[in-house]
Formats: sequence, structure tokens, C-alpha cells
Amino acid sequence: MAVPGSSRALRHLAHGLLWAFSLAFLLPLLWTLRSALLPEGQAYALPPVWGPWTLENFAQALGGPIGKALRNSLLVASLVVLLGLPLAAGLAYALARYRLGGEGLRFAVLATQMLPPIVLALPLFALFRLLGLAGTLQGLVLAYLAFALPFMAWLLLGFFQGLPRELEEAAYVDGASPFGVFFRIVLPLSAPGLFAAGVLGFLLSWNEFLFALLLSGRDTQTIPVVLSALITQRGVLFAQVAAGVVLSVLPVALLARLVDRYLVEGLTLGAVK
Amino acid sequence: MRGRQAAQLLALPGLLVLLGVVAFPLLYAFFLSLTRYSFLRPQYTWAGLARYREALEDPYFLHALGLTALYVALTVGLTLALGLLLAVLLHQGLPLRGFHYFAVSLPMLIAPVGVGLIWKMILHPELGILAYLFGGVDFFGDPRYALLSLALVDVWQQTSFAALVLLAGLRSLPKEPLEAARVDGATPWQAFWYVTFPLLRPVLLALLVLQTLAEVRTYDLVYVLTRGGPGSATDLVSYYIYRKAFLGLDLSGAGAMGYLLLLLTLALVALYYRFLTRG
Repeated sequence: MAVPGSSRALRHLAHGLLWAFSLAFLLPLLWTLRSALLPEGQAYALPPVWGPWTLENFAQALGGPIGKALRNSLLVASLVVLLGLPLAAGLAYALARYRLGGEGLRFAVLATQMLPPIVLALPLFALFRLLGLAGTLQGLVLAYLAFALPFMAWLLLGFFQGLPRELEEAAYVDGASPFGVFFRIVLPLSAPGLFAAGVLGFLLSWNEFLFALLLSGRDTQTIPVVLSALITQRGVLFAQVAAGVVLSVLPVALLARLVDRYLVEGLTLGAVK
Repeated sequence: MRGRQAAQLLALPGLLVLLGVVAFPLLYAFFLSLTRYSFLRPQYTWAGLARYREALEDPYFLHALGLTALYVALTVGLTLALGLLLAVLLHQGLPLRGFHYFAVSLPMLIAPVGVGLIWKMILHPELGILAYLFGGVDFFGDPRYALLSLALVDVWQQTSFAALVLLAGLRSLPKEPLEAARVDGATPWQAFWYVTFPLLRPVLLALLVLQTLAEVRTYDLVYVLTRGGPGSATDLVSYYIYRKAFLGLDLSGAGAMGYLLLLLTLALVALYYRFLTRG
């Protein structure tokens, strides 16, 4: 650079700004972790206290409604992935290789992921009450398929389009059937894409709130619903809320690490590879 | 031909599920929006387009739409600006890159309900650490600050996502144009504005549409932090429609408003689709 001095100053500024961003993200999370590790009375004492530390909040959370909600969330999110992923893979392959339904179907699959959830939540609520699905975990899984299935299909669509066609053509020459090609060639080659789609489907279901609020019952509440009720109905339970938030974030934070590369691609629906 | 039939069979189960949980409910909602159906009087009394006319004449709905437009402009603008700055910083190869990347990638993974609770505790007017450090401002209870506070909490989370998207964009840019600019004696500033920024524009545009769509959906944060209040200071449109249906018990009126919101959204999605398929 022409002026080395100013370039070094710029670098210091950049370094300082980057730290400011990182701290702005980390400090609120560390503060929450701190609150989760203190007894209820100390969690919101001001000026803040540092100790005595305890794991009691986590034990209490896991033994109470939060633990139940975590189990519900785990069950719902897992079922959404287990049911939705095979359906999404079939749909995505038909769209990718055979352009089934043309542009219209592609647009519909994309648009479904971006609907304002409230538009779908209202009729689902009314229909589930008529069908007796309101308040059940099965109903919640079905409702989640509405956004998770097209989301996973869109991610896989991009993945399938990126596979080299020659392998599939060679298999056809060797006498494989279309199903044989799909199950023995395409799916095994797409294992990373399937895994990423599964993780993202899990993450979306795990964090979803509006459908869960309207469609779950007393025994089927998921973790965001239970957390949202903690702070409003029973006054201020900082340590409990903090422990619940920490417990709800940990599984998805660990899972997301595994699909780092696909996270951005998946969440931008393929605009950034 | 056999391949096509196989494809139809493979797609069928997924399509049937989507018909059941998306297409049919949307049609049902449209039908409801043409009636006067409420939870108190669950009868399909035909109303034609009257519910749509009422929605467009409802001052609270119009207020919610206007407030949402303001909120979207505020959050999307801030998110893109901060996200771009942060992405450029992460792209510089400064020390501890892995650590910073880790810190930046955390907020986007948290459920919005969790984000709302974290900040509700930190900004609590009596017991929050920030209120303690900076004097007791009631961030969410004061109508002057409520919308801005809500927006800033949202921006805190969205900036994390925007930065990672733009960083991926920066990493995928070709290196030659930047090197050519450097050889020609461009300053880092010039190189950024005249080379990097134009190359990054498609990613920025995609993010702009995606973030706009995401912010129109804002519901969870409102529910946890303000419930639309104080008064109607943070009554964003998704929350207002929810209230209309479940507190006002007017399912078909809320349905009409939902459909109006859906039309606005579809226009944006069409824009995004054209954008995705152009490349």
C-alpha cells in the first residue's frame, strides 16, 4: 500500500471492530450461562454476584416441565426428519432430473417455505380441531412437514442437480431401473446432502414457535412454548429460564457444527453456494 | 417414459403430504375468508369479499401494516449494513479467525423465543444488568423505545446470519479482478467499492429479499418481549392477525388479513425466484 502507517491503523481498527462484534454476540450468551449456574436468588442480584455456583437449575429444569418439553421437541423434530426426508428426496429427484410439474411446481415448493406461518396456522388450527389432531404430537409433526418438507426438498434439489449425470447414465446402460438408479446410485452419493437437509429440518422444527403454541396441548408442548410461558406466568424465574434456554440451545449448536458448510447454503435456499 | 413414471411415483408421497398440510389448509382459509366464521359462531355465513373490504378499512390492521413496513426497513437495513461490515472483517484473515467465526455463528442457531428471553432478562427494567449499568430505562415498556428495542434484539440475531451469508459470498468471489485493481494502484477502499461490492451485489440482493420475508414473519419476539404493546407500539402484522383470530375470535376476518399478507409475500417470493433462476 502507498501509506503503510495508515494501513496498519486500519488493521488495528478492523481488529478492534471484530472483537466488538464477537463480544456483542458472546457476552449476552455468557451472561445467560452465568444466570443458569447461580441459585435463583443470586441469578438476578444487582450488583451481580459471582457464586456460589450450582447445577441445581439444570437438574430442576430436566426433572420438570422443561425436561418434558425437551423430550417432546426431540420426538417431534426427529419424526419430522424421519418422515420428511424420504418424501423430500423423492420429490427433489423428480424435480431435479425430470422437471416434474415444470416451473410452477418449483415455484410452489420455494414459496411454501416463505409463507407467513400465521396464514397457515389459522386454518390448520381450525382443521385440527375438527379432525381431533389439536393438542397431539402427531398433529404437530404433520404441521411441521408443511415447512420442513419443502425446505429439505429445496436443499436436496440443489444437491441432486450438482451430481454428475454420467454415473446415472452408466447405470442405465448396465440395465438398472430408474428406482435402482435412485436408491443405489443417487441416494448413496448424496449422503452429505441428506445429512445436511436432515439437520436443517431438525433445527427448523426444534426452534419453531407459532405452530407449537397453537397446535400443542398441555402434555405436548415443545421447548419454545414452555420457555415462553416461564417468564410471564410465574413472575421472574431468571435462573430457571436461563437454564432452559441453555438446554434448548446446546443440542442444535452441536448439531449445526456438523453441517457448517451447508448451513448458509441451506438457509439461503441455494442463493449462496 | 419409464423414468418419468418412476419420477412421478417418487414425488407422489411428498406431493400428497404437501397437498394435505399446505394446499388444502390454504384453500380452506380462503373459503373461510369469504364467510363470517368465528369461534363464537362457527357457521359458514357467506360474506363475499366483505371481510377483505373490512380489513382494508380496519385502522388497526393498517397501523400494523405500516408499523411492519417501518420495522422491516429498520431491521433489514441495519442487518445488511452490520452484516456486510462484519463479513468483511471476518474475511481479513485477522488473528483468532476460528474463534470469531464461532462467536458470530452462535446467535443464528438460537430459537427466536430463546433470543427474546435472553434479552428480556438482560434488559429487565429492575433486574437486568444493562438497565443497572445504564440507569433504569424501560426498553420494552416505554412506547418511545419499544419498537426500536424489539428491532435491535432482532438485528442482534439476524446480523449473525447475514454476516455468514456474505462471508460465503466474499469467499466465492474470483480473485483476479481484485489483484488487477491492486496492480493498478487502487487503495483498499477503492478496491472494495469498485470491485468487491459490485461482484457481491447478487448475494446482497438475495439476502435483502430473504431478510425482508423473514422480518415480515416476525412473531416470536413480539410474543415474548412486548405482546404488541405498550398500547399498539409494537403490534406487527403477524401478531395482529394472531390476536384478531385468537383473542378477537374472528377466524375469517383474520383469514382475510392473512390472505392480503400472503399476496404481498408472494410478490416478494416471485422476485426471489426470478433471481435464483436467472443464474
